[in-house]
Amino acid sequence: MRVFGCRSTRVLIAIVLTTCGTVRGRADDADVVKVDGAKVDVVKIDFAKQVGPILEHHCLKCHKPGNAKGDLSLATAADLRESGALSPGSPDESYLLEIVTPADENEPPEMPKEGDPLTAAQRDVLRRWIAGGADWPAAVVLREPSLADGSWWSLQPLADADPPEVPDAPADWRTHPVDRFIVATLREKGLQPSSQASRRDLIRRATYDLLGLPPTPEETAAFEADDAPGAWERLIDRLLESPHYGERWGRHWLDVIRFGESRGFERNEIINNAWPFRDYVIGSFNDDKPFDQFVREQLAGDVIGGDDRAVAVATTFLVCGPYDDVGNQDPAQAAQIRANTIDDIIRGTMEACIGLTVGCARCHDHKFDPIHQTDYYALYATFAGVTHGSREVGTAEQRQRRTEQLAPLTKSRDELQGQINVFEKTIGERADAKAADIAQHWTRPPLQRTSTEETFEPTAAKFVRLVVEGAENDPRSRSGYRVDEFEVWTDGEDSRNVALASAGGRATGRSRVAQDFADAYSADLTIDGRFGARWIASTPDLTIELADVQTISRVTFSSDRKGDAGSNGVAAFVSEYRIETSTDGEEWKAVADSHDRQPVNEAHRRYRLEQAVITKEQRRKLSDLRKQLGEINRQIAQVPALPVWWVGSFTRPAGPFHVFVGGDPQKPGDTVTPASLTLLKDVAPPSAEMATPGQSRAALAEWLVDPHNPLSPRVLTNRVWQNHFGTGIVATPSDFGAMGEPPTHPQLLDWLARRLITPEAEGGFGWRLKPLHKLIMMSQTYQQSTAPREAALSIDAGSRLLWRFPPRRLSAEEIRDTMLQITGNLDTAMGGPGFRLYRYLQDNVATYVPLEKHGPETYRRAVYHQNARASQVDLMSDFDCPDPAFAAPRRSATTTPLQALTLMNHSFTLDMAAALAERIELDVGADDSSAQAEHGFVLAFGRPPAPAERVASAGLIEQHGLPAFCRVLLNANEFVYLQ
Amino acid sequence: MIHENPPSNRRGFLGDVHSAMAGMGLAHLLAADAPAKTAAAHQTGVTHFPPRARRVLQVFCPGAASHMDLWEHKPSLEKYHGQPLPGAEDFVSFQGKNGNLMRSPWDFVPAGETGKPISSMLPHMAKHADRIAFVHSMTSKTNTHGPGCVFMNTGHPQEGFPSAGAWMSYALGSANENLPTYVAIPDIRGEPPNGKANWSNGFLPARHQGIAISSQQPIRNLKRPAAISADEERASRELLHLLNARHADAHPDLTELRARMSAYELAARMQLSAPEVMETASEPQSIHQAYGTDDANPLKAGYARNCLLARRLLERGVRYVNLYCASRASGVDGLLNWDAHKTLKSDYERHCPIFDQPTAALLTDLEQRGLLDETLVLWTTEFGRMPTHQEGTTGRDHNPDGFTCWMMGAGVNGGVSYGATDEFGRRAEINPVTVWDFYATVLHLMGFDHKRLTWYYNGLDRRLTDVHGKVINELLAS
Repeated sequence: MRVFGCRSTRVLIAIVLTTCGTVRGRADDADVVKVDGAKVDVVKIDFAKQVGPILEHHCLKCHKPGNAKGDLSLATAADLRESGALSPGSPDESYLLEIVTPADENEPPEMPKEGDPLTAAQRDVLRRWIAGGADWPAAVVLREPSLADGSWWSLQPLADADPPEVPDAPADWRTHPVDRFIVATLREKGLQPSSQASRRDLIRRATYDLLGLPPTPEETAAFEADDAPGAWERLIDRLLESPHYGERWGRHWLDVIRFGESRGFERNEIINNAWPFRDYVIGSFNDDKPFDQFVREQLAGDVIGGDDRAVAVATTFLVCGPYDDVGNQDPAQAAQIRANTIDDIIRGTMEACIGLTVGCARCHDHKFDPIHQTDYYALYATFAGVTHGSREVGTAEQRQRRTEQLAPLTKSRDELQGQINVFEKTIGERADAKAADIAQHWTRPPLQRTSTEETFEPTAAKFVRLVVEGAENDPRSRSGYRVDEFEVWTDGEDSRNVALASAGGRATGRSRVAQDFADAYSADLTIDGRFGARWIASTPDLTIELADVQTISRVTFSSDRKGDAGSNGVAAFVSEYRIETSTDGEEWKAVADSHDRQPVNEAHRRYRLEQAVITKEQRRKLSDLRKQLGEINRQIAQVPALPVWWVGSFTRPAGPFHVFVGGDPQKPGDTVTPASLTLLKDVAPPSAEMATPGQSRAALAEWLVDPHNPLSPRVLTNRVWQNHFGTGIVATPSDFGAMGEPPTHPQLLDWLARRLITPEAEGGFGWRLKPLHKLIMMSQTYQQSTAPREAALSIDAGSRLLWRFPPRRLSAEEIRDTMLQITGNLDTAMGGPGFRLYRYLQDNVATYVPLEKHGPETYRRAVYHQNARASQVDLMSDFDCPDPAFAAPRRSATTTPLQALTLMNHSFTLDMAAALAERIELDVGADDSSAQAEHGFVLAFGRPPAPAERVASAGLIEQHGLPAFCRVLLNANEFVYLQ
Repeated sequence: MIHENPPSNRRGFLGDVHSAMAGMGLAHLLAADAPAKTAAAHQTGVTHFPPRARRVLQVFCPGAASHMDLWEHKPSLEKYHGQPLPGAEDFVSFQGKNGNLMRSPWDFVPAGETGKPISSMLPHMAKHADRIAFVHSMTSKTNTHGPGCVFMNTGHPQEGFPSAGAWMSYALGSANENLPTYVAIPDIRGEPPNGKANWSNGFLPARHQGIAISSQQPIRNLKRPAAISADEERASRELLHLLNARHADAHPDLTELRARMSAYELAARMQLSAPEVMETASEPQSIHQAYGTDDANPLKAGYARNCLLARRLLERGVRYVNLYCASRASGVDGLLNWDAHKTLKSDYERHCPIFDQPTAALLTDLEQRGLLDETLVLWTTEFGRMPTHQEGTTGRDHNPDGFTCWMMGAGVNGGVSYGATDEFGRRAEINPVTVWDFYATVLHLMGFDHKRLTWYYNGLDRRLTDVHGKVINELLAS
């Protein structure tokens, strides 16, 4: 059923406004032409009117730029000319005509592969057109028509309908504009609205709705007792003033814009400096910042805010999606990754702000909505200067102050460094002079990665250790080197390697840590009898304990026994070492060292020479200077840095920009300039390129919030409506195109949207959301009971027409926050760095391991959880908190056994059950199980228990204790469903 | 195209009907999944045509397992070893510059009746060669592991889309409600590149997500906490049932409430079934030996135990098992997975023995138990490797332009080698195959037209095969 789709068969012909290409002379004088040698009368064919539509409807689906099945595009005259599918003037020699003509009557023609074949009349038009010279004006470009065109409902200006009069509606449904729209539709379907919900349900509904938390029992009691007129309005006003409002509604926006705090993709490194944006969003909602300004700041805060941190922070919006930072060296792949990154910005922005799936136009014109590929690349050009990452944010003044503070320190640092350099030069010169002398002691060949052997006098040993005095990469370093095997050989005939683990050997030596796979680089690898996997040392020594005391006379060790690493860093070895043995692990005896070997590389040679000639005094002096330098550097580090936030950076990229044919950056097509979409050109003219890329971005923002742009206010109003009622007037909140759902109440949507954007001076809300919330919540529609009525359910089971208030399950955040709140554990501290419900492991790539225990440091509202991509966290993920891989314009509310396992068994539930029990005891004492049961119900469900519930609950408490009862409460359906 | 109303409208007034029906847990859960809108809504469990396979085992070797060193013999590498790859001088790929052509460090040995040449590093797997249908002309869209693994599992290189197992759960539903429908078995060395995104349900309902289980890590939160006695648990569940039943009675229209009660019952049954699956001590010693569960190499033993777990899961009706052999990228290329950038020979001399015997034993075991008649086995990796060595190393860089995957088991035309890369293994040359073609074929074997298995999400009716894919008929048994 599609009420709103005007499926126009109107020909979409874009006349490309170019100055190039002289149009081939029209065949005005071609009424009589020669065809295949004979003179034939030809009635002139108008390409645009007669031929174009045939090609567009039957051929373009497959034969268009970017798709071009069989390498044939039929979009332009040039395409067709290149293809050679046509011989102007000779229809019978034209492949194009042949292929659409059936070989015999009963067979379908070869083309088109999909859809209806051409009629005889259509083929005749083609024949006559070809016969007449196949004239195709160069300015005419054919496009496959999209499903919806400019007449699509969401692209029309906001309607200005007055709320209908419904004289036979219940009296209290005839005043509020929202109620008048709603009840009119209900009447059309033969439905009646419901009566008002109880006071208890209302305060619970409103408090969860605006704050994401339950009301306290005291608040509920007070509201139930407030008989004075205006109690409901006062409640709404109070809730809208609560700072928790921003935490609840800010989270909705963070969902919509795919805000995540890790980078995603392979490395998925955590982002620790995106939280200021989360606070900015929460603050903007609490301040009721006009939404048009909110959008401007997020798209172009760097431009309109100058260096004001409070505004510059907003551009995190652009760069909070996933991005691939793996550092691909393949230029084609790197270009593709960059294109993917910009694509994320385009889709993120457009879906959030105007609810159109613009991303579909990346490879071809949008099949469903009137969005051209050139539109997409105009946006691409707009965002091309945006780069993901951190940037220092601060005013010029703040920068200046910091520079002044640093100046004396950097001066001292440079002086010290100068002195050190002079010293090192002197020592170096002396080393050069004595080099020959010193080097004559280096009699043995250098050690080898493939195998280094030391033999020594037979010696009794229980322990053998390699003490490293320098690594191959850096003779000053004593860690980071690698060893693939270390062998200890017994003396005499039948010499055996007694280091092997299989011979009872044990290896000790700290290694680089990979916490999710503890043995990845372990010292055990040195005695496993296998080569290839290497111990990566983070300590200067490797100790091998033998099974028992042995007489040994030889060791061999290596970092690349097989020799296939060559000089590669994967097998970086040692440069200087000694070998020591011990019988008890206390007293050590050196049995061999590398000091008489030739150095392994030039850096090693220099280092040895310098060590040989440096005097005691020089060593002392140098060490002193280095100490001073360290101290200065420490002081420099202490000068408070300006904040560095994940707000992206902005450059002026080198144009020109192109369409990527088929979405492939290696196939540049027509050039484009920064602009907004063209689909509203009749109501909101597209933005154009400005002097700087930032200004072009700001211009796009202006277009998005242009009072004549009907999409932004409709999409925003619908999001607000959705979060009050569970489903929007449009059920697909980020798709207002042809694949989206049509609105259930289009006039109501427009009426509210118009009210939202009308300036406050003219009686509107000036893009502020708080008055919109209040308007909606003051309606009878919002205050209805959720009670089901069979007759109504049979007509509208989903309650989409709002004959009742639709019940809903709480979100993951609400469930967790509620558990913390009712137990008295909720830490209401706002803002700042977030907490984590996972352990963050990083070894080249990141791994997120969910925590078994959630400590009190995690007892903040869930909006402050640092939501990482591709991580699953008990409770949060189980209850559909989305992975920010994508925007989540609407939360799911699924039901799975995993939810049951988590809520029954995770230690967080047990901790909360214990805490709730403690609170109940504190409030009503430890003796009366019936009173305890009642208090538990009030805290968890906001109501006292029925007699049967009270008895059963008290029974459990008496048998198994109060925490057991509390665990049941937290698992109950009533706890997670809202009336 | 006809758009149906949201399922919420179709659900109707179910009232208390289901509460009287034992074993209706699944129906409840299904009814509770309410997407905003689904076009061409698929009814779980109803195939489009008679299926050849009823379950899938997907063995995934992350890190890009080299096609020309394992499955696709390239004699020209031998012949032109040390010479430049024609037309690719100064060629820069993922990690940088490439050197000259490099032969495989191992011989290829003719296997089975077909005489299919298989690397001498895989003597056990070679015994299955006659039953395997190789696809030697796979191509990927990306040369990066994370996106590559996600692409190979979900049909999209970006994260957030449902994996093949999730689609299969949505398509077929459960055959054993007491166990998850879709299980991922991460390797003892850790999660694969991009971690959990590889078994994500994406935008499909959460019940279709892959549940991670392995011999080293059982299902999270499965066990009743030690502090709670069986008695207390039973009494608590009784009270919970009483409260929930009263609440559900008061809201008869909310099928979710009954669904949630069923989910609790399901969870309780899972608490009994899942540990039983993990309990491999009951397996005969001969099985343990065949798989190598007690091997001295702890990595091989760990993988072998996961292979055995995979069989036990499949046997008990799990629809889709996504079994990993190796893990994410570590600080050392090729250490924890098949990513042999620098030292191919020693890397694969570590990885092949871990993979070879246990996997081959699993296939033999499935066959001997008759499970292979209804189990489709897939072997996948995210892309292949270059025929050249990387400059200054004896390893190979990433190659998304040609690699090997294979299928065997139910409905598969064993003994076939479909497609090929060019003479050096650089690019798919004969019958190039996309990931989408691969999954179109998989879905076909499972009884589905890949174009008709859809779920509306954000502007499109989404598919495992995106907007591509064609069934490869040559891989289908006649």
